[in-house]
Formats: sequence, structure tokens, C-alpha cells
Amino acid sequence: MNTKEPIITLKDISFSYEKTPLLQDINLSVFSGEFIGIIGPNGSGKTTLLKLISGVLEPQRGKILIFNKDITNIPRKKLAKIISVVPQESHVAYNYKAKEVVFMGRIPHITQWQGETLLDYQISQNAMKKTDSLCHAEKGIHQISGGEMQRIYIARALAQTPKILMLDEFASHLDLNYKYEMIKILRNTLQEDVKCIISVFHDLNLASFCADRLILLNKGKVEISGTPQEVINNNNLRKVYRSHAHIIQHPELAIPQVIM
Amino acid sequence: MKYLTEKNNKYLYGYPNWKYKAFFVLVFGFIAILITGFIGLNFGTISIQPQKILSILWHHNTNDSLGIIIWELRIPRLIMAMLAGMTLAGVGGAFQGILRNPLADPYILGVSAGAALGACTGIALQYITGTYLTNILPIFALIGSFISMFLVYFFSKNKSHLPMTDLLLAGVAVNFFFSALITLLLAVSNRELHSMIFWLMGDLSNSSWQKISIIFLPVFAGSFLLIFSSLELNAMALGEEEALHLGIQTEKLRLRIFVIGSVMIAIVVSFTGLIGFVGLVIPHIARLIVGPDHRIMLPVSALIGAIFLILCDTIARTVLAPTEIPIGAITAIIGAPLFIHLLKRRNENNEY
Repeated sequence: MNTKEPIITLKDISFSYEKTPLLQDINLSVFSGEFIGIIGPNGSGKTTLLKLISGVLEPQRGKILIFNKDITNIPRKKLAKIISVVPQESHVAYNYKAKEVVFMGRIPHITQWQGETLLDYQISQNAMKKTDSLCHAEKGIHQISGGEMQRIYIARALAQTPKILMLDEFASHLDLNYKYEMIKILRNTLQEDVKCIISVFHDLNLASFCADRLILLNKGKVEISGTPQEVINNNNLRKVYRSHAHIIQHPELAIPQVIM
Repeated sequence: MKYLTEKNNKYLYGYPNWKYKAFFVLVFGFIAILITGFIGLNFGTISIQPQKILSILWHHNTNDSLGIIIWELRIPRLIMAMLAGMTLAGVGGAFQGILRNPLADPYILGVSAGAALGACTGIALQYITGTYLTNILPIFALIGSFISMFLVYFFSKNKSHLPMTDLLLAGVAVNFFFSALITLLLAVSNRELHSMIFWLMGDLSNSSWQKISIIFLPVFAGSFLLIFSSLELNAMALGEEEALHLGIQTEKLRLRIFVIGSVMIAIVVSFTGLIGFVGLVIPHIARLIVGPDHRIMLPVSALIGAIFLILCDTIARTVLAPTEIPIGAITAIIGAPLFIHLLKRRNENNEY
């Protein structure tokens, strides 16, 4: 896999906010078909890293390449056709219908002059079907629950037909069955148009379940990156989280799970 | 599968195409404007029979006194009310969208206070110097509003950025400062007080075809540009960062909306005085009727604003005729209870 061209490359990325360094010397390459999980304690820079890759923030040092092109040279509208982001939590200012929110994922693809086509509606509808949120289509976005909201947001991100899908804590409000469903949906998108997925996780077990490769951040630096087996062990957890936990093997899969 | 129910299969076909909806609403709105306009023509210091009005309109009769009342007084005033209503409600809707704040109104960036100070200064000068300045009061107001706009921009600009909070705070500060100066002016004036207060509460009695010809183009060009940005305003509702993810250059969009909106408001307000509440309340009514999609909401808001202001002006002219009530008082008397009612309804529906 590593012989291929990386889709995302981060070269010596450093970012600080008002002289407080948040990220230092981050190097990362993401390849086609990968599901990357970013983990780390609070304040370790997970979300900042996501914002840098999605182009919301600009690093003070280093370079970010998307499909071998410097991200600063990609116009924002074009970037929006490549990358879509599912936010951690978000408030919609006015009471749009759920389907209208999903449809906003098509905004980078349509122009004000020509307007949308039937295809845009079909894509939005499909995205809602995939995330099993079609039954909420007519509801106001302020009337639906946190879990439903997260499915709507994932649908919106899919409606954007991205090549790179980024998620921040996408499952925090989801029930067990929907967690499982969403992971399956995300995995399926990797078989279709989406080239890679990058997600921030708080839940180490979920991260280990979802991701092919984990990146453990500690105080703005990459502590270790590798398969869940390589990253989640007592040694690393004690060093980064400063707490002791028991690590057991999943009864069916070859992945580690953390229990208190 | 759960989603393959009968109802949901029809989902795609039931998807409202906003263009049809917009077309229907616009046609309906224009008819409503014509009807309210016609009603407005009937009333005034003298009532004129509807048949008589129709014949005056049809024959373009400007020979007798009734013809002059209709063509030179009531119709210009009607069109002025319409244009002012459109601008206030449309810009109010756009500002509420870009600021993601349902309590924003077109005056939030200090344009109004600047215009008011300019106009009041002009009125004061008129009495002090004894020269007749009423015809060029709009120029005073326009200069005042551009000064306040420049001050707000200057105070909130931070390097190349224009942070939203700073912008709002600068707007509030400039508003307060200019309002204080106006209060000072009011406190030291006596004879001119009445004209100042009338200007501050909105006054359409000086409408003329000439004034309409001045504001017509900026209002329509500006409205077009605002409506042209409505898809981007929709994205802004998700939040600034989300809008960035959808490819919107949020900072440029914000600057564009603020400049277009403020210039429109400055021009209109310079001729009409400060008419309150229209820009705050009407967009909410539009949202209740057609939903928050700006592509429909903005034109509808403008249409309702036009209708609302025509009605308010008719009331202002007739209730205490021949004495006129400032139109701003009428809009607030009707608008404030309406707004509170809407707020309560929103809270009950947990829609906030």
C-alpha cells in the first residue's frame, strides 16, 4: 500500500495559537483506502489537526499536500468538493428542515445561476437513505435529537460526495446499533468514492474498532502511530493518559479494548 | 428495510423545487402589493372613490386637483413606502442570516445613528442660518451614515480581518455615541424639535418622483446582489466553520453583505428617516411563512416589508387626518406586539 502516492501529506506541521504551541512537527501520510483514527487526551491537539487538514486553520510552519497539491493553492470551493467534515457539535441558526440541511452538502457543486438539478436531490436523498435518516427528512433540525442530528450531519457530509471524509467524534450521541451501522456505512464509502477517512475519537475502544491506523497525540506531538495493536498498550496509555487501565483482547477480532 | 415505506418512496417527488415556490410566491406578492397599493390610494385627507382613482390612473389625468393628489402625492408616497419596506425587510433578513442572529436588524452597524445625526444637524443648521435646507437633508443624512459606516469599519478592522464580534460591538458603540449626540441636539433645540423628531420616527410626506428616481436603482441592484448571495447565506446558518467546509469564503461574504446592505439602508433612510421594526420583524414573518431558505425567504421578506409599510403609511396618513403620525410609530405599535407574539410562539415550539 505504501508504494502508492499518498492522498494527504503533512510535512513538519507546526501550529500555535497566540504563541501557545498546539502542534509541533507533525508528519503524516494518508494513503488510499485508509481509515485513520486520531486519539489523545483532552487538549492534545486532535481537533486542531483536523482543522489544519480541512483548511480552516493555516499552519505557521510546514506544508499540507492534498493529492500532491499544496492546500493553500487549492481554491476553497474546489477544496469543498474534495473534503467534507462532520463537526463534533453544531448549532444551525434557523430551523431548516433536515433535508434542507443535508442538501446544503451540494452547495459546493451548484452555482447560484444554474441552481440544482434532479441529480443533486437524488444524491442528497441517497445520503439520507444510507444513514437511515430519511424518516426525519421533513422535521425541523431543532426538533430532532442529538443522535439523529449526527446521522443528518453524516448524511450531509456524504451528500458532498467527498474524496476525503473527516469526522470529529461522530458517534458520541449514537446508540449502539447506530454506532455499528455508521461504522459499516463509513467502511462502505471507502469501497466507493471516498478515498480515505480521518476521524477524531475520544472513545479508544471505538477507535480501535474502526480505524486501520491510529495516531496517538500527546501535547501536540505524535507519540506513536500504527495499528491499534501497536498503539493501544499499557505502556503508551500510562505515558500519555497518566492512568492505568486494563487492556483485553476483543473476543472475536484481533483488536485491543480498554476497560477501567 | 425501514426507509422503504410507501410515504418515503415518494420523498423525491415531493421535494419542493424552490424555483416553483419562489415564482408562485412572487406573483402572489406582486398582486398583494397592487391591491394594498390601490387601497392606500383611496385614503388620505380626502377619500377618493375607487372608480374615480381607476379613471385617473387609466387616463393618466394630472389636470385637476384630484389627479395631482393621486399622481404627484399619493403614488410617489406609495412607491417610496414600497421601496423602503423592501429594503428594510430584505436587508434585515440578510443581516440576520449573515450574523446568525435572529435579533439583528438593518441598523445594527450604526448606519441609522449616523444618518439621524446628519439629518438633525441639517435641521438645526436650517434654523440657525435661516437658509432652506429641507431639500438637501438627504445629503446630510447620507454623509452622516457613511461617516458612521467608516467609523465602524475602522474600529473593528484588525489587520486584514474583520472579526464579527468586534464589528457588532463597534456598531453598538457608534450607535450609542451618535444617539447621545442626537439627544444633545434635541435638548438644545426648541422650534426645530418637531421636525427632528419626525425625521427620527420616519417620514414619507416629502416623497417625490425625483427622490424615487434616485433610490430606485440602488435598491433594486442591491436587492439583486443580496438575493444572489442567498445560497451562501444558507450555508452560513450551519456556522462559520461549516460554511468554510462548504467552500464559502465567509469573510468576503460577510463584508459583501454588510457593504451592500449598509449602502442600501443609508440611501433609503436618508430619504425616509428612521423607520423601525420593519427590518427586525418582517424577516421572521417571512421565515414563518416560507421557511428559512434565503433564496425564497429574502424576496418574500422584501415583498411583505413593502406591503406592511404601505399599510402602515396609509394608517399614518388617515387615523388622525389631517395631522400625520410618524410612520415609525405605527410600525412599532403594530410591530412590537407582533414580534413578542412570534417570540412566544417560537419558545413554545422550542424552536429557538
